[in-house]
Amino acid sequence: MKILIIEDEPELSRSITTYLEAENYLCETADSFNTAMEKTEHYRYDCILLDISLPGGNGLQVLGELKKNSKTDGVIIISAKDSIDDRINGLNLGADDYLPKPFHLPELSARIAAVIRRRKFDGSSTFALNEFIFDTRAKIVTVNRQPVDLTRTEYDLLLYLASNKNKVISKNAIAEHISGEEAEIFNNFDFLYAHVKNLKRKLSAAGAQDYIKAIYGMGYKFELP
Amino acid sequence: MKLLKKTIVYYFIFAALLFGAAVPLFYIALRSVVVSNADEKLRSVKTRIMPRLLDAAAGRENGTMDYSDYSIIYRRIPAASGEDSLYSIAVTGTQPGERVPGRAFSSHFVINQVWYSLEINTSMADKMALIKRIVWVLSGLLFVLLAGLLLINNTLSRKIWRPFYLTLERLGGYRVDQPDLLTLPVAPVKEFNDLNQAIAGLTQRDRQAFNAQKEFAENASHEMQSPLAVFQSKLELLMQTRPLNEEQTQLITDLATASKRMSRLNKILILLTRIENNQFLEKETLSVSQMLDKLLEQYAFQVEREAITVTINRAEDLLIYMNKTLLEILLGNLLSNAIRHNHPGGRILVTVSEHNVEIQNTGREMPLEKDKLFRRFQKESGDASSIGLGLEIVQKICRLNHFEIHYAYHDSLHSFRISFP
Repeated sequence: MKILIIEDEPELSRSITTYLEAENYLCETADSFNTAMEKTEHYRYDCILLDISLPGGNGLQVLGELKKNSKTDGVIIISAKDSIDDRINGLNLGADDYLPKPFHLPELSARIAAVIRRRKFDGSSTFALNEFIFDTRAKIVTVNRQPVDLTRTEYDLLLYLASNKNKVISKNAIAEHISGEEAEIFNNFDFLYAHVKNLKRKLSAAGAQDYIKAIYGMGYKFELP
Repeated sequence: MKLLKKTIVYYFIFAALLFGAAVPLFYIALRSVVVSNADEKLRSVKTRIMPRLLDAAAGRENGTMDYSDYSIIYRRIPAASGEDSLYSIAVTGTQPGERVPGRAFSSHFVINQVWYSLEINTSMADKMALIKRIVWVLSGLLFVLLAGLLLINNTLSRKIWRPFYLTLERLGGYRVDQPDLLTLPVAPVKEFNDLNQAIAGLTQRDRQAFNAQKEFAENASHEMQSPLAVFQSKLELLMQTRPLNEEQTQLITDLATASKRMSRLNKILILLTRIENNQFLEKETLSVSQMLDKLLEQYAFQVEREAITVTINRAEDLLIYMNKTLLEILLGNLLSNAIRHNHPGGRILVTVSEHNVEIQNTGREMPLEKDKLFRRFQKESGDASSIGLGLEIVQKICRLNHFEIHYAYHDSLHSFRISFP
C-alpha cells in the first residue's frame, strides 16, 4: 500500500512515515505545493494525506486537480485550521476524510485503513484478523464465524485496536476515538476501563484469544503473537 | 445633575437675586426722587404764599389757610426756634377720618417782629400710588424678561448640546469587540466636532490594538498547532519503542497528559477567536430540549459515575434560531460544569421555559464570585481538566447572540440562567 504524505512540517512528516512504515505501508513525502502536484500527477497512491496550508499554494488545489483528472486516490485532509469551512470545502471537493491537527497517529492509521478499505475493496467491506472478521459496513464482528454481540462503542474500540495491531495506543487516543468531546471534558478514563473490561469479557466468552493487553498505565495494545 | 440643569440653576439664582434686589432699590430711588421733588415744591409754596400769609396772619394768634393742594398752619411763637425742616407725616385724606402719607415743611416767619411758626403739608397719596404702579409694571417687565431669557437659554442650550448627547449615546453603545463601527454625526459646533474627531480617532486606535491582539492570539494558537502535532506524534512513536520499563511509561503518560491539555487549551483558544470573529454563520431553528437530551446522553456515564440526580422540567419546548455548534457548546459547557463542580450524589435541575433555560446544581456550599466568574482562566476547582475558559466561551456566545446570562446562588444551588430575547 502506497501513501503520499503532503505536509510541510518535516518532523510531523517523519513521525507519520515511521508509524505507517511499521504497519507495512510504503510512504512518500512531499513538502511543498509543487512537489505535491508533481507526485500526484505522475504516481498513484492508495491514500494521500493532505495538509491544506502548503508553501507555494493551497492543498485544496491539489485535491481539485486530482478530482478533475478523475484519479481515484483516497484523500485525507490533515489541517491545522480546524475550521468548518475547510472541512466542508475539503469534503465537497471529494476528500474522504478530515483530521484536524494535532491528531493521534493511531487515529490517522485507523482512518487510512478505513479509506483504503472503502476504496480498494468496495463491495467486500470485510477485513479479517486471525479469528476475527470485521464487517465494516454492517459494523459486526465475528469470532470463528460466530457473531459477537457488541455495543457500538465496543465494536469501535475493537476495530480501532485491531487497526493498530501490535501498537501501543494511549488512553487519550482511545478515549478520544470512542467518545470524542466527552473524553476532553471529563478528565477520567473510568468509562474507558469499563468498556475495555466488557469487551474483553464478551470476546473471551465468544472464544477469542485475549489479544488486548494493558501496557502499565499508558494504554492498550492489540497484540498478535 | 445634568449640565443643562446646572447652568439653568445658576441663571435662576442670579435672576432671583437680581429680582429681589432690583425692585426694592428701584422703589427706594423712585420714592426719593418724588419726595425731593415734593420738598422742592413745598419750599416754593412758602415763597409764593408769603404775601398772602402776611396779610392773613397779621395780628392773629394762629390760623390755617389752603393753597392749591397744600394746607398751611401758622401759630405765633415767642421767638424763632430751630431751622427749617422737611418731614413725612400722615395727613387727612379725601375721605373723612382717612389718614394718608404726606409731606410737611416746617418753617417760620416774622410780621412786625412777631414770630410765627409755619407748617405747610400736602398729601403724597397720588404720588405714592403712582410709584406703586410704576414699580409693579417694572417688576412685571423684569419678570417677563428674565423668564424669557431662561426659556431661550434652556431651549438654545438643549439644541446646542444635542450633538454632545448624541455622541455620548453612541459612545455608550459602542463595543470594541463588535463589528459595528462608531459613527458620529457632524456637529454644527466646532468644539463638538473636535470632540467627535478625537473620539473617532481614539476608538479607531482602540480597534486597531484590539484587532492586532486578536490576530496575535489567532496566529499564535494556529502556529502552536504544528509543534503540538509534532510533539504528540513523537510521543506516540516513543510509546512504540522497546523495551519500556514502568518508570518510562509513567513519564510518557505524564507527557501525554500535558500534551493533551495543551492541545485542548489550544483548541479552545481557537474556538474563542472564531466566536469573536463571528465565523459561525449558519443558523437554524433548534430545539433546546432536544439538544439538552443529546448532551445528557453524552454525559450519562459521568452523571452515573458521580451518582448525580438530573431532573428536567420542561413545560414547553424552547425553539431558538442560532448556530447549532454554538448552542451545543453553550449548553454543553454549562451542563459539564454542573456535573464537574458537583459532589457525588448531588443534584442537577434543568428548567426550560418560554424564554429561559436554567441549569442549577449542587456543589460547593458558597456562592461563586460574580465578577470573576466569566473571566478568562478563573478556575474554581483544582481539577486538571478544567481550563478556565468554559464560562468565557459561554459569555461570548451569549453576547454574540444577544442572550443574557445570570448567575445566582440560593438554597444551596448554583444557578445559571440564560434568557433568550
